Amino acid sequence: MSDPAAAFEARLRAILEERYHHRHPFNRRMHAGALTRDEIRAWVKSRYYYQTRIPIKDSAIVEKSSDAGFRRSWSERIHDHRGRRPGEGGLARWLDLAEAVGLDRAEVASLRDISPGVRRACDAYVAFVESHDLLESVASSLTELAAAEIMKVRIAAFETHYPWVDARGLRYFRDRTVQARRDAEQGMRFVLRHARGAADRERCAAALERKCEILWSLLDAVEALQRRPRLSKHAQPRFDDAGGESLVVLSERAVRVNPSGREILELCDGGRTAFELAAELRRRHPDAADVETTAYAFLDAMERLGVVEGRP
Amino acid sequence: MKAPRPYNLIAELTYRCPLRCVYCSNPLAYREVRDELDASDWLRVFRAAAELGALHVGLTGGEPTLRADLEEIVRGATRYDLYAHLVTAGTTLSAEGLEALRAAGLRSVQLSIQDSKPDASDRIAGSASFERKLAFARFVKAQALHLSLNVVLHRHNLERVGELIELARALDADRLELANAQYYGWAHVNRAGLLPTRAQVDDAASVVRAARERFARPEILFVLPDFHRARPKPCMGGWGRQNLLVRPDGVALPCHAAAEIPGLEFWSVADRSLRACWEDAPGMNAFRGEAWMREPCRSCADRARDFGGCRCQALLLAGDAAATDPACPLSPHHALVRDARAAAEDAAVTSPPPSGLAYRGDRIG
Repeated sequence: MSDPAAAFEARLRAILEERYHHRHPFNRRMHAGALTRDEIRAWVKSRYYYQTRIPIKDSAIVEKSSDAGFRRSWSERIHDHRGRRPGEGGLARWLDLAEAVGLDRAEVASLRDISPGVRRACDAYVAFVESHDLLESVASSLTELAAAEIMKVRIAAFETHYPWVDARGLRYFRDRTVQARRDAEQGMRFVLRHARGAADRERCAAALERKCEILWSLLDAVEALQRRPRLSKHAQPRFDDAGGESLVVLSERAVRVNPSGREILELCDGGRTAFELAAELRRRHPDAADVETTAYAFLDAMERLGVVEGRP
Repeated sequence: MKAPRPYNLIAELTYRCPLRCVYCSNPLAYREVRDELDASDWLRVFRAAAELGALHVGLTGGEPTLRADLEEIVRGATRYDLYAHLVTAGTTLSAEGLEALRAAGLRSVQLSIQDSKPDASDRIAGSASFERKLAFARFVKAQALHLSLNVVLHRHNLERVGELIELARALDADRLELANAQYYGWAHVNRAGLLPTRAQVDDAASVVRAARERFARPEILFVLPDFHRARPKPCMGGWGRQNLLVRPDGVALPCHAAAEIPGLEFWSVADRSLRACWEDAPGMNAFRGEAWMREPCRSCADRARDFGGCRCQALLLAGDAAATDPACPLSPHHALVRDARAAAEDAAVTSPPPSGLAYRGDRIG
C-alpha cells in the first residue's frame, strides 16, 4: 500500500479487528446465547452508566473545536443520546431495554448502584477525552467503525437466544446500527484529514487502542459481578466475639468488620453472585445511599485481604 | 494500668531443633530451658488465653513437631477456638503426620526456607534440609492448609529475593514473608557477618514492589531491617500489648528475647494463672504504656506508633532496656547503628555465606 492514508485506515481497522470487545469472552457468550438472565441484567444495568458518559465525552469533544460546522455536526451525537424530546434518544431507549430485561427503570436511571470497577472503566473514557486533544479524542471514538456490526450480531442473538427479552427493548440496537455507521464515517473522515504526519497517526492508533482497552475493562468489571463470593477456607468467622466485635480470623491476622460488613459476609455463601448479593442488600435497605456500590467495594477489599474468595 | 487484650498467643513448645540457623531467635542459653509443660498444661494455657481474648496460637519452638504430643496440643487449641498455626522448619514431619494435625484442627503452616539455592540454604541452616523443606511445602498444599513461606534475609541471600518469589510461586504459597534478620540472640552474635548493605536492601525492595504489581499471589510481606529504617519498628506491636509468649518451661513473656533483660521478674504458668502472668507480672508491666519512657521518646509524636522501638535492642546496643531504641535516629546511641551500617558497606558480600559464622548451639566467646 503506497497510499499512506489508505495504509493508516487499514491499520485502524486492524486494531479493531484485534482488540475491539467483540472478542471479549463476555460478548462471545452473550452472542452465543450462553448468558444467564442475571448476567444480562448485570450487563444492562452496568452499561447504562457507560451510556450516560457518552454525551459527556461528546460535549467535551465539541468544546475542543472552534470549527462551527464540526461543532454542529458532532452535536448531533449528543442529541442522539439525550433525545430531542422527552422519552426520545439513546438513553431512553437503553432504559426501555432495562425494563425489557426485568430491571426497574428508575433504579437503573438513578445510577446509584454501579460497581466501582464499572465506574472506573467508564470514567476512564471521559478522563481520556478531557486530557487529550481533539484529534486523539475523535480517534478514540472510532470504535464506532465496529459498532454497527456488533449491533446486528446482538439483535440476532437476542431474538434467537433470549426470547424472554421483550422485542421492544431492542430498539436501541436497531437505532445504533444506522447512527454508528454515520458517526464512524464522520470520525474517519476527520482523522484522515487531520492526522498529517507519522507522529499524528501514531497518536491516533494509540488513542483507539486505549479506547478498546477501556471497553474491554468494562466487560471485565461486568464479569466480576458474576463471581460467587464465599468466605475463604482459611477464614474463621467470629461474628459474636467476646469483646462485642465481629471478627474474621485468618492465618496470622484478623479483620474486624462493622455490622454492615458482617451482613455482607453472611451473604457470601458461594451460591449467589456478587450482583445478586448486592441486589439482596438493596432489597433490605431500599433507602440507603450507595448500598450496592459499597458492597462491591467491600467485597474487593475482603478479597485482597484473603477473607473472601470467589473468582473462578 | 489495665492489661490489654492479647490477640496472639505464641506457644514455644520446645527449644529442641535439628537446624542450627545462624540467626536463630531462641536465647543463647536455650539448653537451660527444658520442656516442662505437658499437653494438659498447654491445654490449660490455651483455655486461659482464649478467656483473655486470644484469637491465634502460633505453635513454634525450636521445632514444635519434635513433640510427640503435638496432635493432642493442636486438638486442644481447636477446642478453645484458637486459630492453630504451626511454625516449622519442615524437616521432621511426614505427610501422614501433617494430615493428622489437619484432622486435629490445624489451619495454617509457616515453613522456613533459608535461601533459594540449596547449598546456601543448607549452609545457613547448618544442616542438609532444603529438599525436604520443598517436599514438606507440597504436603501442606496437598492438605489445603494455608501456606506461608518465611525467609530470613541477610547479606548473603538478599540478592535472591527474585528467585525466592519464583520459588514461592512454584510452590503455590499463599504468603511469602521476606523478613530481614532481627539482630537478637544468635543473629546478634553474627551481626557483622549478616548485616546487609543499603543497596542490597533497596534492590530487594524494588524487586518486591515489581512482583506485587505483576502477581496477585502470593501475598508478599517485606520486613525492613531495623538498622536501615528511618524510625524504629513497633516491636511486637508494643510491649505486653498484643502478643503473649509462653516458653517451653512455662514462663510467660512479651516477646522472644525479654527474659534476657536483667532485673525483670516474669512469672510461669507452672506457678500461677496465665491471667496473672499476663496482667500482673512485674516484668510484663515494666514497659507497658508510656510511663517508663524517657526523652526523646517521652515527648515524641511517634511514641504511640512505635512505642519507643524494641526494649531488647536497647539493652543489647545501649546497655539499658529503658533507653530509646538505638535504631531510632533520634536516639543518643544511634551512632552504634550508623557505625554497624558503615561496616556493612565495606565488608564483602559472598554466597554461600562464609565460614566463621556461629551456629546455634556453638560455644560462644
